Amino acid sequence: MPIILENVSFSYSRKTPLETSALRDVNLRIEKGEFVGILGEKGAGKSTLTKLFNGVLKPETGTVRVDGLDPSLREAKRRIGMVFQQAADQLFCKTVYEEIAFGLLNFGHSKKETEERVYEAIEAVSLDQTELSRDPFSLSGGEMQRVALASALALRPDYLVLDEPITGLDPSGKKEILETLKRIKEKGTAVVTVTHNLKGFFPLLERIVLIREGRIAFQGSRESYLEKGCEPLPPIASMMKELRARGMPVNLAVFTVEDALEEILRLKSILGKENSEN
Amino acid sequence: MIRLEKVSYSYPDGTPALEDLNLVIKKGEFIGVIGKNGSGKSTLALQLSGLLKPQTGRVMIREMDTRDPSKLSGIRKLVGIVFQNPETQFVGRTVEEDLAFGPENLCLPPVEIRKCVDLALAETGLEKYRHRSPKALSGGQGQCVALAGVLAMRPECLIFDEVTSMLDPKSGIAVLETIKKLHRKGKTIVYITHNLEELHDADRILIMEKGKMRLEGDPESVFSDVSLQTLGLSLPSLIELAENLKMHGIVIPWEKTSTPQSFAEEICRLFLKT
Repeated sequence: MPIILENVSFSYSRKTPLETSALRDVNLRIEKGEFVGILGEKGAGKSTLTKLFNGVLKPETGTVRVDGLDPSLREAKRRIGMVFQQAADQLFCKTVYEEIAFGLLNFGHSKKETEERVYEAIEAVSLDQTELSRDPFSLSGGEMQRVALASALALRPDYLVLDEPITGLDPSGKKEILETLKRIKEKGTAVVTVTHNLKGFFPLLERIVLIREGRIAFQGSRESYLEKGCEPLPPIASMMKELRARGMPVNLAVFTVEDALEEILRLKSILGKENSEN
Repeated sequence: MIRLEKVSYSYPDGTPALEDLNLVIKKGEFIGVIGKNGSGKSTLALQLSGLLKPQTGRVMIREMDTRDPSKLSGIRKLVGIVFQNPETQFVGRTVEEDLAFGPENLCLPPVEIRKCVDLALAETGLEKYRHRSPKALSGGQGQCVALAGVLAMRPECLIFDEVTSMLDPKSGIAVLETIKKLHRKGKTIVYITHNLEELHDADRILIMEKGKMRLEGDPESVFSDVSLQTLGLSLPSLIELAENLKMHGIVIPWEKTSTPQSFAEEICRLFLKT
């Protein structure tokens, strides 16, 4: 069963002069095993949405269900792993081992089971065993992010929810996290990520949810997002949209350098023929 | 304007952050600094603003040595720094109060403070938000408040440490445009980023690795340097596409590779004239 949001609305500081509506009438379904990108400008309501998935926030109206369960139930929480933008904010133990084991021990797993799962989790995020005894705060940004990911993965969640997981990382750190997420998804875990980094994430996204001023402005496949000309777009897709706006017969569902090269050479050939016929 | 002479700095746990670094920043330059996490970029920013002092070597800002405590006030007036997260830099209840904090600390008279605040608001387009709480603004506007807070102190040199990394693309472009506008008005800019795309129009790019300068030059020469990938950096997509098109005889001039709009415009110009 999926994560289902029905007619969900949420406001911060309810019934006070500072009341701010963050989400309105949101209907959304996240299926197991899919890779979903939640896009939108800052303040659109993206992070609020992810906090409703695991019961950190409760909807003002409407319902949220995780595999049919109320997200505030312990069993529902186990099914959802959360990783926030600043990994350092969610790390607090003295060693990497303790950090990854913390959730497992809290869920009542035995020491033996915990140890097995910690090793399984570090393998999934390509962390070396020698890192287990290190202080998490002595790690680089990319390594910290992988520890946060491993802590979430150790609970074997069905849904991994991330908020800007590659912000602030250098290109090689970004690449490591993206490759890790790709592997996690291939093993059957749904990955749902809030992101502004379209260049990095776009090739991985199967479905896109675009939030604008608290409402869902678009949800559908990556191809349909591109063909409808939604924004934001990665630079190559944005350039193809510009070409189409200038009357060029190009395919809008192009976002990689390789495909754009092919498309521009095809365009040149079409226009060359038209010119020679005229 | 700023000169680093054989500057080295290690953090208390012994991690070297800068090693024997030499650098001259001229007045009015726009310098982009890029490198992996831990390459020393942020330490460089703190050295350039006098917030950290070198353990060996020296940093001279307009002939003022950052190790000399008597020069601290003079250095603060000349160099301002803006960090990644604007929310950690707000001190006032309103935008106006926030902007007044710096000039007040420089002990300027009230009339002068008012002038500084008004000018900083105008330069960043924040006039209509002057009575709002900075925390109630969007990420991009918040970063502009942090920038205006520094501008209110009328520095000649502005240092930006990954100021767009937490913003959505639209807000990031708006903040970068504001910074470019300040550069055109004569400010010296040091812009630290992970995103090479943001440095297309810089005067000079410095690539750092393990506390040292690995590559330096104008954007066109740095972007076409073969060692870029070995330094863990990837080319902006539009530049990579232009490189690929060149191999098929389609030449997109450098200045047209800066935005999707200018790139598409050039493709249309090339293809429609044949």
